[in-house]
Amino acid sequence: MKKSNAIEVKNLIKTYGDVYALNDVDLNISDGEYFVLLGPSGGGKTTLLRSIGGFIRPDSGSVVIKGKNVNNLPPDKRPTSMVFQGFALFPHMDVAQNIGYGLKLQSIEKNIIDEKVNKMMDLVGLTGLHKRKPHELSGGQQQRVQLARALILENDVLLLDEPLSALDAQLRKDMCIELKRLQKTVGISFVHVTHNQEEAMSVADRIAIIADGKMIEEGTPQEIYNKPKKQFTAEFLGEKNILIGKIHNLNKSKIVLDISNDKIEIANNNYDVSKNQEVSVSIKSESIQIKKNVKSKTNEKNSIVGKVTEITFLGQFVRYLVLLSNDEEIQVRSSEGVDNIKLNDQVILNWKLDDFILHNE
Amino acid sequence: MIIFFVLPLLLTVVWSVFERTMFWMEPAFTFFSYENFFFSSRLENFLSSMFHSSISVVCAFFIGFPIAIFIRRRVRKVAQHRVMLLFILPFMVSEIIRIFALRPILSRNGVVNSFLMDMNLIDSPFSIFVFTPTGVVIGEIVSFLPFMIFSTFLALEAIPNYIFEVCADLGVNRRRMFKDIFLPLAAPGLFAGSVFIFVNGIGIALIPTILGGPGSVNAGLIATQAIIALDFPLAMAVSAIMMFTLMGLLYLGHRLFNLTKLLEPIS
Repeated sequence: MKKSNAIEVKNLIKTYGDVYALNDVDLNISDGEYFVLLGPSGGGKTTLLRSIGGFIRPDSGSVVIKGKNVNNLPPDKRPTSMVFQGFALFPHMDVAQNIGYGLKLQSIEKNIIDEKVNKMMDLVGLTGLHKRKPHELSGGQQQRVQLARALILENDVLLLDEPLSALDAQLRKDMCIELKRLQKTVGISFVHVTHNQEEAMSVADRIAIIADGKMIEEGTPQEIYNKPKKQFTAEFLGEKNILIGKIHNLNKSKIVLDISNDKIEIANNNYDVSKNQEVSVSIKSESIQIKKNVKSKTNEKNSIVGKVTEITFLGQFVRYLVLLSNDEEIQVRSSEGVDNIKLNDQVILNWKLDDFILHNE
Repeated sequence: MIIFFVLPLLLTVVWSVFERTMFWMEPAFTFFSYENFFFSSRLENFLSSMFHSSISVVCAFFIGFPIAIFIRRRVRKVAQHRVMLLFILPFMVSEIIRIFALRPILSRNGVVNSFLMDMNLIDSPFSIFVFTPTGVVIGEIVSFLPFMIFSTFLALEAIPNYIFEVCADLGVNRRRMFKDIFLPLAAPGLFAGSVFIFVNGIGIALIPTILGGPGSVNAGLIATQAIIALDFPLAMAVSAIMMFTLMGLLYLGHRLFNLTKLLEPIS
């Protein structure tokens, strides 16, 4: 059974002066899905989230939540709740008051509010902290209060605007696990904005890469990480080994790419490309094997020669920087150091045909 | 702190029990000046000036606080401080002139009355605007309103913008916003502004001198008159009484409203 859409965004456009914060963005988010908007700062992901929440009025396009067009509704009339960036709590209210405030506004009886607040505090892991003021809480606890305050209203969608950006790295990892668990428990759609790829990968069911006001691509974390369709995505996810070349030859299973002085072969996974087209390809630094070479040319397939310009010990890995004959540098991460390779050595790099990914944009 | 604050206060108390001489005073221990205060119309004047001052505080709250809220919420961030500067402009003019200028505005055939008459809103001019306690209250509001606006604006300025976004998300209406957000978060500013206006209301002799009638004498004026009459111990006694009254009020306020909690820094 196909899940119904919680959120449908169509042709959303928002400009600030001449700058397009959102440039014709389409997006569908399913019911009960943990969706992450990932991208560089200033790329429009927060604008997109705030348009869904009703904090920003887009110039054109529509936002439909649960089958209802909410374009003209203010934030409180939409079936969304927001967790804000930073620690956005009411400083003069204690934890329980902060969480229960939304219900208090709806004139709900006090004992019902108390009961719901207790339940919610247990759910987010704040048991017993009712009377604490926000400034007496740690950063992680403050974000839990925000989560509880938003979730207690039992809306269909929870929007999270960089919820973990103010936390330190270890706490962020822990909170990611908790967020995912929480989302599974409550079962509603979460839309989470972040510029941190690790955070995105660890929580998301699906990820959309947003940059320059455009949706670059979307997919599961595995798809986005292992097989990015766009060069931008590969670069954004920290891929250093990007080579640009012209397609020299191709058939159903293989593509031969001309990168100035050398030719490399890659697997053809039904790419929509043609001969002589300029494309970029990338390969993960851990997918490359490195070995010492004494000759200056190689006849092996799926390989290329180069010179080691830097060796760095990184604990779990040893990283080699290898200069190719076309002056491009390739990074190789090897889990065990290759003993006899020294600086300025000639090396051969090998890979499996499948490891190179082609980006046709 | 000790030289400029504690010492003068101590001297005030010490001098207030000295004995009056022809042109100065001599060391003694007598409550004559206090009797002189408590068993005369001075006490009555003092109490009524406290009452009038309270009215000024309440009026300044109802006029100044909404103005501060308006500036915080509706004026663009970059323009906010420029708008606040407008409220400093009056201070470029000497206080005497400023208050004196209220006389032609408020008097029987002054600007306000003429306007009301011309608009056919009233038949005969109001005569309560000057030389009455009302005149003093108006003068105090005009003089001290900026302080209420400043102090509350500073408190409101410290409220982070996300608070208003959270409110938008939860659907907080205006009344709730005022009661649940602005009032508690601006409390330190409101308190500071109120104390300032109250203290100046009973302490500044200038306003009742210029705008007040026979029935509107405040503590400051009593002390000034005492000094003019070369009765220094009495002037000191009046000042000391003012001081103790304020300390008493602060303590009472503390017991009633828990000032520490009220002034708890918003963090």
